[in-house]
Amino acid sequence: MLRVAIVFGPLVVFPLVTNSSATWLINIGVFTLMFAGLATAWNLIAGYTGYITLGNMAFFGLGAYGIELVFQHVGVGAGWWPFLMVPVVGLGVALISLPIGWVAYRTRALSFIIVTIVLVVVLQYLALNLTSLTGGSLGISMPTPQFAPGTFERIFYFVMAALFALSLGACWYVRQSRLGLMMFAVRDDEDKASGIGVNVAVPKLIAFSASAFLSAMFGAVWAYYLATIYPQFAFDAEFTSMAIILIGFLGGAGTLWGPTVGAFILVPAQQYMAFTLGANDYYLIGYAAVFAVVMLTMRRGIVPTINDLLDRRRRGRISQLGAPRSTGAPVAEPLEAAVGSAPQ
Amino acid sequence: MTVFVQALILGGLTGGVYALMTSGLTLSFGTMRVINLAQGIFVVLGSYLSYLFFTDVHIDPILSILITAPAMFVLGFVLQTIFLRPIRYNAHSLSLVMTWVMAIGIEGVLSIIFTTNQRSIVTSYANTSWTFGPFEVPAVRVYAFALSIVILAGLYFLLEFSKFGRAVRATSQRESAAKLLGVNTDRVSAVAFGIGCATAAAAGCLYGLIFIFNPNTQYDLIGRLLAIVVLGGLGSYKGAFIGAMTLGICEALVQSFISPQWSDLPFFLILALVLILRPQGLFGLRERGAA
Amino acid sequence: MTRPTLKGRSFTRSSAVLLLSFSALAAYGGVVTSTASASSKPVVVGISLSLSGDFSSTGQAGKLGYELWASQVNAHGGLLGRKVKLIIASDASTPNQAQTNYENFITHDHVTLLAGPYSSLLNLPSAKLANRYHYLFVEGAGNGPAVFGACLPNLVFAGGPASATNAGLVWARYILSLPKSKRPKTAAYPDLNTSFSLGEADAIQKMFQRHGIKTVYHTVYPAETVDLSGVMESVKAADPQMVVSGTQDTDGFAQVKAALDLKFSPKYWFMTNGPENPVQFPATIGKQNVTGFFTTDIWTPTASNPGNPQFVSAYLKKFGGKATTINSTAAETYSVGQAIQFAVKKTHSLTNEKLIRVLHKDSFTTLASGTIHVNKCGEPHGNQNLEEWVNGKIQIVWPKAVSQHAPLIPKPAWKS
Repeated sequence: MLRVAIVFGPLVVFPLVTNSSATWLINIGVFTLMFAGLATAWNLIAGYTGYITLGNMAFFGLGAYGIELVFQHVGVGAGWWPFLMVPVVGLGVALISLPIGWVAYRTRALSFIIVTIVLVVVLQYLALNLTSLTGGSLGISMPTPQFAPGTFERIFYFVMAALFALSLGACWYVRQSRLGLMMFAVRDDEDKASGIGVNVAVPKLIAFSASAFLSAMFGAVWAYYLATIYPQFAFDAEFTSMAIILIGFLGGAGTLWGPTVGAFILVPAQQYMAFTLGANDYYLIGYAAVFAVVMLTMRRGIVPTINDLLDRRRRGRISQLGAPRSTGAPVAEPLEAAVGSAPQ
Repeated sequence: MTVFVQALILGGLTGGVYALMTSGLTLSFGTMRVINLAQGIFVVLGSYLSYLFFTDVHIDPILSILITAPAMFVLGFVLQTIFLRPIRYNAHSLSLVMTWVMAIGIEGVLSIIFTTNQRSIVTSYANTSWTFGPFEVPAVRVYAFALSIVILAGLYFLLEFSKFGRAVRATSQRESAAKLLGVNTDRVSAVAFGIGCATAAAAGCLYGLIFIFNPNTQYDLIGRLLAIVVLGGLGSYKGAFIGAMTLGICEALVQSFISPQWSDLPFFLILALVLILRPQGLFGLRERGAA
Repeated sequence: MTRPTLKGRSFTRSSAVLLLSFSALAAYGGVVTSTASASSKPVVVGISLSLSGDFSSTGQAGKLGYELWASQVNAHGGLLGRKVKLIIASDASTPNQAQTNYENFITHDHVTLLAGPYSSLLNLPSAKLANRYHYLFVEGAGNGPAVFGACLPNLVFAGGPASATNAGLVWARYILSLPKSKRPKTAAYPDLNTSFSLGEADAIQKMFQRHGIKTVYHTVYPAETVDLSGVMESVKAADPQMVVSGTQDTDGFAQVKAALDLKFSPKYWFMTNGPENPVQFPATIGKQNVTGFFTTDIWTPTASNPGNPQFVSAYLKKFGGKATTINSTAAETYSVGQAIQFAVKKTHSLTNEKLIRVLHKDSFTTLASGTIHVNKCGEPHGNQNLEEWVNGKIQIVWPKAVSQHAPLIPKPAWKS
């Protein structure tokens, strides 16, 4: 609980103590929390069950269009009510994700990754062409939220923070529970797990739909924040999808706080870089270069690498006292366990 | 009926070029179990290189392949060695991410050098087409198809009958065993990646002759290429070829017959159906493990 | 099985990273806010442009237009005696970044004025944000239906005389002005599924249908289509006398290439976008094939509307190059500056509320739109000019009052 307070304390207090000229910071905070939450939700599938997915944008976009349909057909106005509809949209998308997950899980590993990419591409395609439903490429303008300028960003910040807390909570709960054990079993060796009687479909589908539920809610709030939806941004297979998994890997997939750390470093940095350096395409190259360097030097991500360094130092000091080995090559690291150490 | 056959012709010819593009994906997947998300930008790079040779040096783009393909082979080899080899044994998914990082890096460079203006390689024969009865057959597409078949055939012979080809197949089947037998799998993978890049150079030239491109085209391409290899089965050249032809013909038929609005949908429906009935794709092997 | 978990000391370290990054941001915010308020002499204009990503080529052109305007204003004493300073940030062609950029401009940099980015997709959410803070939002590149549909009180479109939907009607009017014997009787409409092109082509189609020109083929193809041979095949099979293509640029070029392959050349061919690109159009379809293509645009380098020759020569002096390579987006953003300048001069003020009021009340003149009046949703109701490729150049051919050359019909056959 103390750890939670350490992190969430400043997160909550921060927007309350800054004056109105720092709303731009809160805006960056909104996007940062959104990505942290999205990456943590992604972690449920990728880090815990070991199925790397690029498909969460599909549910993000569905959540965005979902909330728009709510605006169209249910008179919720443009104040607080839409926020209450967000979990409803999330549940709807989670239900839709079950059959999708079932088809996707027919494949494994790399085919699964490709299928998830194709999923987002197909949904973008549908959103662009079902114009009567989605407005197509003309986009949809949603009712602008009626909050006063000073508090506007703050409100969305807190909503995003709540969703982020929910994502973290889900991950935390999973780790402590039997469901989590089933997920880790799938990650480590699905066929063996199935062989000893674990019903692998259960943890896989639960992870999938929980991740979809969370991603959809983020999508709904995002749509409300910008008050416009265009298919190519709601279902963005290329950048946002990859940004989420880059954040996840950067911070350390399979750890609780990894994706969060990744997001808190990367999102403000990226937005800052775009704002100051974006003046030419060096921005793209810079982005790529930073990632390449980090990937090559900290291959398991920031959090596990830091853990390693600390543990190595600790073990060096208390080597006689039989300190528990929490890292070390033979023990399956989350990432290696997730994806296999060498092609078989 | 005319429209049907015309569509069949055009779609089939385009399918050949797609098949050439996907051969690189199959090569890198087979030897490294890595999906090369940079294949799209390699094709675009090939287009730009041929474009440069044509507009600045006035060499026919198809001839320029003799220069661009070896150059891109070297590029592929180097990229694999610097960026992919160090992390190979960490995680295949990490390699996937790394290939995407390479892709946006290259896209950035291309955007700076060439800007995002749309280009096309407009040779004197770019818009000629031959008339066979009621059908128009564009010359460029025929050349493209023919060249694709030639290169794919060459690749086939390389893989089936050469020592290197045997090494590639051994590495693809079981890397540890190949290593035990003395195959330098690291070098094999690097060379395979280089070859994949070289075929992309050729495919890029052909693509640039038929279509219009700029650095962003890689996104259109990579989505299609990935869907093709999944349909055909990861790691299968035969499957990739059939998948490519299916996509090309499907698109063309639906576009002229039903409605262009939904021209991509039937292909995705077929893909979904195949995945449900036969998850490894048409000719792929059942994968083990979670990833 | 043990796995590395974030407990104890390592957790504290990680949370320290979190706290550090956050406090660094807060400190940065604090430090810069305190210095920003000190400088108030120049008129600061915050602009987000797509300098990388999908819209980057037009974004870069737009930047030149804004810069040219700023330098000219400053050479003549600035706005109300104060120099104009532009801060331009790139949004990488994404709305999230555009949102962040304008948020930064308004609440961090406290800019005096704003100007719009490229594309309806980015203008709409940015304008909404600006509206929240009651900033004037003049933009030159987003005139799709969704933008005016939102009816934002602070929005003014200064990049052309008409909305995207009405932009193409000049073509319909021209055809209908011809004697009946010379008019085409049948038409095909291959349209791209995007906001501008589709709306524009649909408006033209409706007008033609009302006047008895039969639609023999109509289709809408998806945004990512690269291969239009199937579409053009169906167009050819329907044997239309006129083709009206609702296109953006890439697919516009692709349609023509497919038509060349299929040896299909209609007598009248109008495209909503594509032919107005002075360099890319002939480069992608071949110089010998451009004659006879019609389009509309707000501006050509050789147009004689007031202020244009001066704009062109000033542009070439500052940036070099040839007149024919000037991208019209530069003229559009320049016009945005002109509109702002007019409002400031008229009201003798830099207060956004006053500027919003005057631009919605009075008519004003810009390079791109001529003299126009915008309605309360920021939409102007003027007419664009009809252009055609004649004698190897793109020229205004209709209406007669502004034409540089008589229209050439029918379109000549392809030169093989």
